[in-house]
Amino acid sequence: MSRGEELVRWLEKELGGNFISAEATIPGRLFIDLKREALSAAAAGLMNRGARYQVGVGYDARKSGQGFGLVHTFAFDKDSLLVALRTFAPGDDPEFDSLTPLIPGAGWSEREYQDLLGLKFRDHPNPRRLVLSDDWPEGIYPLRREVPHDLMPPAAEEVAFRLDEAPPGTSIVPFGPFHASLHEPAHFSVYVDGEDIKGCEYRGFMTHRGIEKLAQTELTYNDVPFVAERICGICGSVHSVNYAQAVEAAAGLRIPRRAEFIRMVALELERLHSHLLWLGVAGHLIGFDTVFMQAWRIREKIMWLAERLTGNRKTYGMVIIGGVRRDINQDRSEDIRAVLKEVEREMLALEKAILKDRTIHRRTRGVGYLSREEAVKWNLIGPVARARGVDIDARRDHPYAAYDEVQFEVPLADSGDVWGTLVVRVKEVYEAIKIINQCLDKLEKLPKNQPLAVDLEGPIPSGRQGLSLVEAPRGEAVHYVLTGEDNRPERWRVRAPTYPNLQAVPSMLLNNKLADFPIIVGSIDPCISCTDRVLVVERSSGKAKLLSRQELENLSRGKRSKK
Amino acid sequence: MWLWNKIKQLAISFRAGVVTLRYPFEPRPAPEGFRGQPVWDHTKCIGCAGCASHCPARTIFLRDICQEVRILLYDSSRCTYCGRCADLCPEKAITMSDKFELATDNRQDITQSLELFMMTCQRCGRCYDLEIKNYIDRLSSLGYRYDSLEARKVIRRSTADFSPEELEKTVTYERPGRLEK
Ligand code: SF4
Ligand code: SF4
Repeated sequence: MSRGEELVRWLEKELGGNFISAEATIPGRLFIDLKREALSAAAAGLMNRGARYQVGVGYDARKSGQGFGLVHTFAFDKDSLLVALRTFAPGDDPEFDSLTPLIPGAGWSEREYQDLLGLKFRDHPNPRRLVLSDDWPEGIYPLRREVPHDLMPPAAEEVAFRLDEAPPGTSIVPFGPFHASLHEPAHFSVYVDGEDIKGCEYRGFMTHRGIEKLAQTELTYNDVPFVAERICGICGSVHSVNYAQAVEAAAGLRIPRRAEFIRMVALELERLHSHLLWLGVAGHLIGFDTVFMQAWRIREKIMWLAERLTGNRKTYGMVIIGGVRRDINQDRSEDIRAVLKEVEREMLALEKAILKDRTIHRRTRGVGYLSREEAVKWNLIGPVARARGVDIDARRDHPYAAYDEVQFEVPLADSGDVWGTLVVRVKEVYEAIKIINQCLDKLEKLPKNQPLAVDLEGPIPSGRQGLSLVEAPRGEAVHYVLTGEDNRPERWRVRAPTYPNLQAVPSMLLNNKLADFPIIVGSIDPCISCTDRVLVVERSSGKAKLLSRQELENLSRGKRSKK
Repeated sequence: MWLWNKIKQLAISFRAGVVTLRYPFEPRPAPEGFRGQPVWDHTKCIGCAGCASHCPARTIFLRDICQEVRILLYDSSRCTYCGRCADLCPEKAITMSDKFELATDNRQDITQSLELFMMTCQRCGRCYDLEIKNYIDRLSSLGYRYDSLEARKVIRRSTADFSPEELEKTVTYERPGRLEK
């Protein structure tokens, strides 16, 4: 009996009349409908059976008389299974049990729907605003159907962040909303005792663009990949591929083999340049600019390669629903091989020169430590999790495109600190090169001049669910699509990898030195824009800054006297 | 050990040398297949609005300013250079050029607009293009207008089997005038 059948049988028995239905749309996906009374029992059961929480999705289904829908998705990494639990609450009483006391990683998802849909969560430990700014008028929930996508309520004047009081014995050092060590707007108010960080409060979502709302009111299915690509300035293809996969899964579409491999090449090229970019930024944050210069120099070759292959350095524009737009022919494939060989050689030289350098060791070892248990508790993903010995990688655990046909390793480290993340990301560069070369081998053997995309036969039926994972350079990205009418999704939810990783930053910061703040936050490679699903903000960076105790005190005193 | 690492790093940096390009003092042409600013060919466009309805940025507008004239306006300031319009144009009227140096203080510099002269289909009342060069269409460019119901004797058919000789004949063909009451 497979894992999925076992779960369904158990849920049926355990929940009795509260269990409504279960549907396995494609292998590895299980969509379960429940009554809302049974939600926390079912979630607890899944967690006890070793599930990893992914994301919550709320949507407005009042038009079809179902009230508000809430979907929580869980991954069983060992069994290649994703489970989505869906419940509904009537429109006039949108209250659900909060899963946060059980699963801390669900906290943000629930707060998000509290803000955007006006859902209520019973027993949420921290039911404050997350997405909406403090001056957004009460009672307007932007994701509800009746609210237009371009609504702009007038801004209130002089509304400051409502932040917590600092714990006794500590002072606050504000980082943000704009700060030299953050590449994008976010606000961390860090509690320090002397040089030691004792806690931190985060406010983000300052660049929320409302892309999901746009997709369900204005765009059509095939417009979305191009907009999805602009969710992130680094891993654009991740989002467009992911969205397309979710729609294809919902529509039951099988894309051509050639297209699968071409998508993989695009994704792995993106991983290469993202890892090199991060390596450079990390070097810069710890004041080691040789790494910054040389990593970015190597990266530039990949950017130019991508420009030749796809027509642009970034935002490749390769993906449409049903396939890809450009082919990789023999000439291009030789071009890729040549560039990759060069990159691999240069990367090896750079690795040899820097990985034993004392500067890096001193600034990264033991910094931002989080134990394996904590990492699992916070549902960390990607290199940040793999640096803490959590062996997950969506490419291997939930193979999509044709990842089950290529061989690669998933590098792990167990130091649990920034150093581990660095090692994992450097090793992944070589794995990515390996994968691309295998894809090219396969592409060369496949018949040429085949169509690169399949057409839809008629409109996509509404009300179907699709769930897709893509392992982005920073960790797994999740897209959930519920198909709708008028040739557009009813609901499209994007969960970028930074979304869970950022929730764990306060724990990583604990008891570290203030001077290490930039590299710890930088170590998860936070993509605030993806998380907020917001405007792509240019990367500009600043040095790690050491504040003397005196300066720190002045800073915090200055802040207090203003209040 | 420390020194050895630094020497290695120095070697890497020296071997790489200066990689900064002299751009913009030296031109840097875009590679083949680059997706730059889309450019419209007004002689090919038939005003079907295919590009406008598929542009993800919704930055192409088509408006009929009167029965005969349709305006296509492309505003580059919002364009994402995805190339969807060029892919979908049935007449291949759009090419993705290699233009990328588009910064300007005047929005007009990056805006393109086409005036498309349209005809009205007498059967469905919708517009279609007048300048397009198939033979049946030329027939109507010669000035014939269906002014009255009775005159609608000529029903347009497919152009597929229209031979050049027959076209010759149509040039000298005397069209029916207005029917007298
Ligand atoms: S390139 Fe893309 S965004 Fe620009 S006009 Fe064409 S379809 Fe629209
Ligand atoms: S450019 Fe092409 S797609 Fe756009 S209106 Fe003209 S013919 Fe149609």
